[in-house]
Amino acid sequence: MERFGKRGGSVVAAGLAAMLVVAGCSGESLESGNTDSNGNAQVTLKVNFWGDMGLDKLKADYEKANPNVKIVLNSGEFNAQHEDLQKKLVAGNGAPDISAVDEGFIVQFRSQADKFVNLNDKGAGSYESKYLPWKWKNSQSPDGKQIGLGTDVGGLAMCYRSDLFKAAGLPTERDEVSALWPTWDKFIETGKTYVKNSKKKFVDSGTNLFNPVNAQQPVGFYDEQDKLVMEGGPKVAFDVSMKAIEAGLSANLQSFQPNWDQGFKKDQFAVLACPAWMLGHIQKTAPDQAGKWDIATIPGGAGNWGGSWWTIPSQGKNVDEAYKFVEWMIQPAQQIEVFKTVGNLPSQPALYKDPAVLDFKKEFMSNAPTGQIFATTAENLKPQYLGRKNGPTRVAVENVITRVQQGKLSTSAAWAEAVKEAEKAATS
Amino acid sequence: MSLIERPPSRADTPAQQRPAPKDPGGWRLGFYRFDTKLMPYLLVAPFFILFAVFGLFPIIFNGVVALRNWRLDDPTQTGWAGFENFSKLLGDDDFWNALINTFGIFILSSVPQLLLALMIANLLNRKLRATTWWRVGVLLPYVTPVAASTLVFAVFFTRDGGMANWVLSLVGIGTENPIDWRADKWSSWIAIATMVNWKWIGYNALLYLSAMQSIPKDVYEAAAVDGAGPWRQLWQITVPMIQPVVVFTVILSTIGGLQLFNEPMLFDENPAGASGGSNGQYQTIAQLIYKVGWKDLNLGYAAAMSWALFLIILVVAGLNALATNRLGGGGKR
Repeated sequence: MERFGKRGGSVVAAGLAAMLVVAGCSGESLESGNTDSNGNAQVTLKVNFWGDMGLDKLKADYEKANPNVKIVLNSGEFNAQHEDLQKKLVAGNGAPDISAVDEGFIVQFRSQADKFVNLNDKGAGSYESKYLPWKWKNSQSPDGKQIGLGTDVGGLAMCYRSDLFKAAGLPTERDEVSALWPTWDKFIETGKTYVKNSKKKFVDSGTNLFNPVNAQQPVGFYDEQDKLVMEGGPKVAFDVSMKAIEAGLSANLQSFQPNWDQGFKKDQFAVLACPAWMLGHIQKTAPDQAGKWDIATIPGGAGNWGGSWWTIPSQGKNVDEAYKFVEWMIQPAQQIEVFKTVGNLPSQPALYKDPAVLDFKKEFMSNAPTGQIFATTAENLKPQYLGRKNGPTRVAVENVITRVQQGKLSTSAAWAEAVKEAEKAATS
Repeated sequence: MSLIERPPSRADTPAQQRPAPKDPGGWRLGFYRFDTKLMPYLLVAPFFILFAVFGLFPIIFNGVVALRNWRLDDPTQTGWAGFENFSKLLGDDDFWNALINTFGIFILSSVPQLLLALMIANLLNRKLRATTWWRVGVLLPYVTPVAASTLVFAVFFTRDGGMANWVLSLVGIGTENPIDWRADKWSSWIAIATMVNWKWIGYNALLYLSAMQSIPKDVYEAAAVDGAGPWRQLWQITVPMIQPVVVFTVILSTIGGLQLFNEPMLFDENPAGASGGSNGQYQTIAQLIYKVGWKDLNLGYAAAMSWALFLIILVVAGLNALATNRLGGGGKR
């Protein structure tokens, strides 16, 4: 309900825009006039990202080594940064020189590859062999343009509450727990035992089973011709989540909602499919559960959730300087530096042998060797083609699972509904 | 505005025109002409320039985009589409669902909102202790940023441990199965309408109050002498006499209600999907437009929806204004 807000907002926006234009122009004209002692023109690179990507020290180091480059770090809210990038791409100007893009948005931007610098033209092709194959592939357009160089991956493991496991008479050591669930069927069996003994729910929600299982399949929602194939991988994943819901394992909570955060504190679930970056969220949400969490491997052996790329919108004035900075950021030394500062796991498998990753232990998670665990799950994941409509299709199927959990749809009727909704999303 | 409307006063005019023949073409005359003929336009120009840039241009551009194919995820699909986007709209279940949701939430919010605002204004119009405190107090929800208040309401209406369910459990409702506010149409509509009402009741009450204060007291005295109680005075004196303000608030809340976006968006469990609940239970048209444009990346179709919404608002606001005009002994004007 914006009544006067809209018009007031646009007036304010006009004023702001005018100010920015003035400021922007004067800034640029000043800088372009300046040259350093080597005769190199001064350039300013604006880098957009979200949260903390461990760039503060990198910025200082790079600026010291390259006095003609000034780097402006602009951290914002996750969804807002991606939407802002999309709008600036449509508008044709205003985009940052370098922008981080997350896994959930990479398909959307990959299909607009003409709006980004094709990094292969800048010689990025030589890095292909250094990356996890699926990481390299996901940021590539269908006609082979590379729009981004990978920074981190999430990996995917199974976080569990060792104290709740103990109370339910289950093993608590991480190796023994991993041995409980080599497959998803075994995982559901374990869940049934837990629910029977503890009278509590086992997993947070059916959607957090569907997504990792679907990502483990050789073919996900779409085949390489971009045709929806629900009867393959998605069916397998959907059945796992339905079985879990039927067995009463799910606490029916939606990730990143207040209810979910409450669920941590009220012991509403005992396991959580967790990527590397989730550990920070658990620690922040339930700080008093230090030492009560531990990490086992995920059933099926491989997985990933999240992770990002550095992209360079082609509308930028300094794409060459921007590429130089991106290329520098993805070098091993810098990637290890980022891992040490904020814990983001690199996407180049050679770095998983680095002592900094190999020996890293997370105190909050009962000193689990998180570097090793997440690296293994990321390394074992097979590349899967993500279709053009992957995002909307996933949301549509997740909504069907939520409807089952809300008791609005029976598990038997759910699959037909999921297919229908997915087809609608595919043609939207 | 007074600058434009006020004609040059009679006293000034001859005094200034008299020296003119002596000094033909003098700068004074030129300035005077400029001042009276052009200055008013110059002074109102900023508004119209801003309106053209931020109001008119988007509306026209939106209309052009609505007639085109424009997909961000597939740059090869481009060119004129004619009325294809609009004909697709008529057969789109999502659009009709969103339309029903929007009207449902609009009725649940506007009607109680304006009625309660009227009652509150009527109370505030009496002699109370600490009048200013009460008057500022009812405006506080309006001052609260909608994002902040909606986030609080999103927690308020959670299934497990939400305050709404706690209050209901005190009277024995949902003690076994707490209400999942987001799961059903009726419960999610009530939740969203509550947020809207909370924010706008005080604002409307103050508008009514300011109108009420211009009603002469002797009208009420005469009515009281004739034996009209407070209820009858409210409906037969107050409402007809503040009717222009009532029409104004009805039109404004129609526009606001049909453009409802922030509340359902922040209430959504999966805001990244913008689907308005697991089955579109509370997806409003504005939210659907956002989803089609920025999630499905189909800008042409989203533009067609925006135009359809624009037309719907025009029609509904017009009908409401007409109905309110007839209400309460209107129609004399």
